[in-house]
Amino acid sequence: MSELIDVVKRGKRTSEPFTRDKLHASIVASCRSVSSPEALAHHAADHVCDVVMLWTADKPEITSDDIRRQAGSALVTLHPEAAYVYQHYHIIM
Amino acid sequence: MDYATPLGIIALAGLVHASFQLGVSMMTLLSGHSLSSKRSKQRTLGLVTCFFMGAVVMTMLVVSFIAYVVTQSFAGDLPVWLWTLSSSLLLGLGIVVWAFYYRPGRDGTALWLPRTAARFLSERTKSTRNEAEAFSLGLTSVLAELVFAIPPALAAALAITTLPVVWQLPGVLLYVVVASLGLGIVVVLTGSGRRISTIQRWRESHKRFLQFAAGGGLLVLGFFIYVTYVVAPVMSGNF
Repeated sequence: MSELIDVVKRGKRTSEPFTRDKLHASIVASCRSVSSPEALAHHAADHVCDVVMLWTADKPEITSDDIRRQAGSALVTLHPEAAYVYQHYHIIM
Repeated sequence: MDYATPLGIIALAGLVHASFQLGVSMMTLLSGHSLSSKRSKQRTLGLVTCFFMGAVVMTMLVVSFIAYVVTQSFAGDLPVWLWTLSSSLLLGLGIVVWAFYYRPGRDGTALWLPRTAARFLSERTKSTRNEAEAFSLGLTSVLAELVFAIPPALAAALAITTLPVVWQLPGVLLYVVVASLGLGIVVVLTGSGRRISTIQRWRESHKRFLQFAAGGGLLVLGFFIYVTYVVAPVMSGNF
């Protein structure tokens, strides 16, 4: 189901299908980067993926910025530090 | 011989260099990626330290190279036009830093770098796995910011060449130590277990101050060099 949704990337990069696993991995990585325990990281990632999947349910196409916003606001309630890293990763440099 | 003036120029040039943020951004990303790949804190500290060493070595090479070329070309008798060039570069860069160092209209600490270059460096940082790669990344971080680092390094190199030979190596070391202060602080913070979110939040909330300080430092240094090494000799007819 989720693989039918196209993710439009920034700039001139080609779009790609939305995958839950990729989102899950990036949330887990953000949690680990602020030294979060492994179980909390996976719990937060599961929750965020559920929220984002629900949000994408009626959309054929979304942007990577949309995902970042939705996932970030879902993560901020569970893990504010990880949410900050997740939302600001692409504007550190 | 007046040692205070050249040493002051070297220290201020080093301080301006230290306020540039590309190395700190790359080090923050390196530390975050390393922890997110389930590497231990010890291993992350090892990578970050190697990155720091790479940046220190390249900074030393850059300033030593410029000082060597200047010494070989002018045999210790620096022409006024060279000081004029140095002060012009510093004054011009000061204005550029105030206007363009951080991307206008963007949140975070997004720098002046073209986005493709930033993405490339970010990907390289992400795929850094061992100490040798981290060291090379440190070398690259200084090279990537050379367009901003050359004017303060040139000013420091010119000041170094006016010192007696026995003072030249301490002069180079003074520049390198001061220029590496920012990165050194991030290494210490990473080693003491500070989260990258804390470091990044601090950087983001103080970015305008750092930008103002860097630009202001460049303008002050450029003006000081112009007055001391261009106007004063010309006024006294000693050029």
